[in-house]
Amino acid sequence: MGTVQSTQSSRPRSNNPLTSISTDAAMLNQLARDVKASMSIYDAGEDQVYGLLAEFAHPGELLHAAEAIHEAGFRHFDTHSPFPIHGMDKAMGLGNSLVGWITLGGGITGLSLATLMQWWMGAVDYPINISGKPFFAIEPSIPIMFELTVLLASLATAAGMFALNGLPRPYNPLFYSKNFARVTDDAFFLHIAASDRKFDQETTAQMLQELGASNVETIHDHGEEDQD
Amino acid sequence: MSETVKRSNPLVWLIDPLKSTASHADPAYRFSWSQAAWLLPLAIGIAGLVVSAVGWATDSHQFYFSYLIGWAFCLSIALGAYFFVVIQHLTKARWSVVLRRIPETLLWSFPLLAILSIPVILGMHDLYHWTHHDLIDPASPTYDPIIAGKAGYLNTPFFLARLAFYFIVWTVVSHKLYSLSIKQDVDPDASIPQRLRKTSAIGLVLGAISTAFAGMDILMSLDPHWFSTIFGIYFFAGSFMVIMAVMALSAMLLQRFGMLKGVIKIDHYQDLGKFLFGFTVFWAYIGFSQYMLIWYGNLPEETLFYRHRLEHGWETFSAILLLGHFIIPFVVLIGRWSKRLLPLLGFMCVWMMVMHWFDYFWVAAPVLHGDHATMSLYDIAAWLGLFGVFAGAFMYRLSRHPLVPQRDPRLHKSLTFTNT
Repeated sequence: MGTVQSTQSSRPRSNNPLTSISTDAAMLNQLARDVKASMSIYDAGEDQVYGLLAEFAHPGELLHAAEAIHEAGFRHFDTHSPFPIHGMDKAMGLGNSLVGWITLGGGITGLSLATLMQWWMGAVDYPINISGKPFFAIEPSIPIMFELTVLLASLATAAGMFALNGLPRPYNPLFYSKNFARVTDDAFFLHIAASDRKFDQETTAQMLQELGASNVETIHDHGEEDQD
Repeated sequence: MSETVKRSNPLVWLIDPLKSTASHADPAYRFSWSQAAWLLPLAIGIAGLVVSAVGWATDSHQFYFSYLIGWAFCLSIALGAYFFVVIQHLTKARWSVVLRRIPETLLWSFPLLAILSIPVILGMHDLYHWTHHDLIDPASPTYDPIIAGKAGYLNTPFFLARLAFYFIVWTVVSHKLYSLSIKQDVDPDASIPQRLRKTSAIGLVLGAISTAFAGMDILMSLDPHWFSTIFGIYFFAGSFMVIMAVMALSAMLLQRFGMLKGVIKIDHYQDLGKFLFGFTVFWAYIGFSQYMLIWYGNLPEETLFYRHRLEHGWETFSAILLLGHFIIPFVVLIGRWSKRLLPLLGFMCVWMMVMHWFDYFWVAAPVLHGDHATMSLYDIAAWLGLFGVFAGAFMYRLSRHPLVPQRDPRLHKSLTFTNT
């Protein structure tokens, strides 16, 4: 929100206030689309076209295709395979996960909460003299601080992981493909979403063929109503 | 022994029990540095020991403590290597095969360390208060009922017998692990990995017990009123931490001089960095567990240990230990980037080795200088002297054999290892 406003103020004033509002809305929509795309959730394009699904015969081919697709400038794409493929993160250009920062946030929150709790309960709310020990001391508080740090850090990690990877995801338009059922068995897929700026149904399909895809099909997003 | 790997002559046996197999090494795994390179650390070591000898002549009480700290430092590196090798075999580790020859070579430090323990044994009367007979004689005016109560365990003959037992266990297990692995280089036999695993299983149990007791005997009994049942683990935590630093530094040095190019990769260093970080935290965890229970229990003979280290200037040393052995490495090494930035990782390895020595200094030196905190020049001289001799012998062994277990069945997996 803040970045949108700051770009707005640095831009020369538009004559018509309505156009500037609609550009803001468009930028917000684009931002939302990109965030959702990072979680592999893509909006369907024209005629409910969700994207292209290309099948590859070997994990190595899928890896090279992903590398080529990333180099060609595509960003809204994902790969699907029955098992993790070493080096796929790098090939897809995913970079390091941000989940570590969420872990750090959870850890610092846990540490602060535990310190506050130990001090407030022991020294303020209910001070009891136990064998002459201080009401609040750092020594007996460290285990509590350590445990709450670990607890909140791990909960934040799990929550952050689900938030960033968009899982669980009971509905996915890719399920409309009959072939896609084999993804948990012996097939390797690359999906390019129609929402990608570089997406073009014909040329992208041709590019996938050239990369060695054994089968390229167009996936339509019919929504959830006719899933039976 | 096979046809190709023979026992070395009795004079060399102490430094390396096997004849050189360097001629069998694959070109990629050959020690290409000067064959006399080991003389450099040895020379530094001898210089340090000469300075220490002056210390012995002028202030023998100080010398014995300085020497004990340096000796325990070298012993802990060898023990760290022992545990590292044993654990790699037992877990059938793949990532570490390219690094394994470094700790394997360190394993054969035990016979040399046994020889180097002679000054410690000669200085027992200065080092260990419980060796004084008047303390356990009820008729004596200096009779100490607490130490008299411990005399069944803390007495000189039993202490020496235990020390001998530890070194025999470590040497026998190490000989098996070292010679089987070298034999595999030239004469691969499908049964060797399984035999190494079997030795490791026995070695882990014997090593755990002997290391825990060795830590208590060598360092904890310096303060014989005090006791801490966790001290054996504290000793292990430090040694398993420091071996990671020694391995990473040795690998960096070998690569600096043009060896093992492309064999040891950044991914291996990152894993060593993870272990270094992990066991720095483990050390702090064990050290704090010891402190917290003593704080809570508040028993006079237990709290005295910390009392001594929190007054007369020792509180500064305690603060440096906490900061330098835990807080600074925790902050620096927690990130992925710092473990993959070799100059920084190398610096932290040197840092942790210094801090590990400082940890033993912090345990031992306040026993000698209880009423005023001080660090002697002889502390540094004995440390560098012993470590120089130790490192020289290590380099001599390293130069005589392939730098990598070159016929290990899991070597290929280690060469292609990547860290995500």
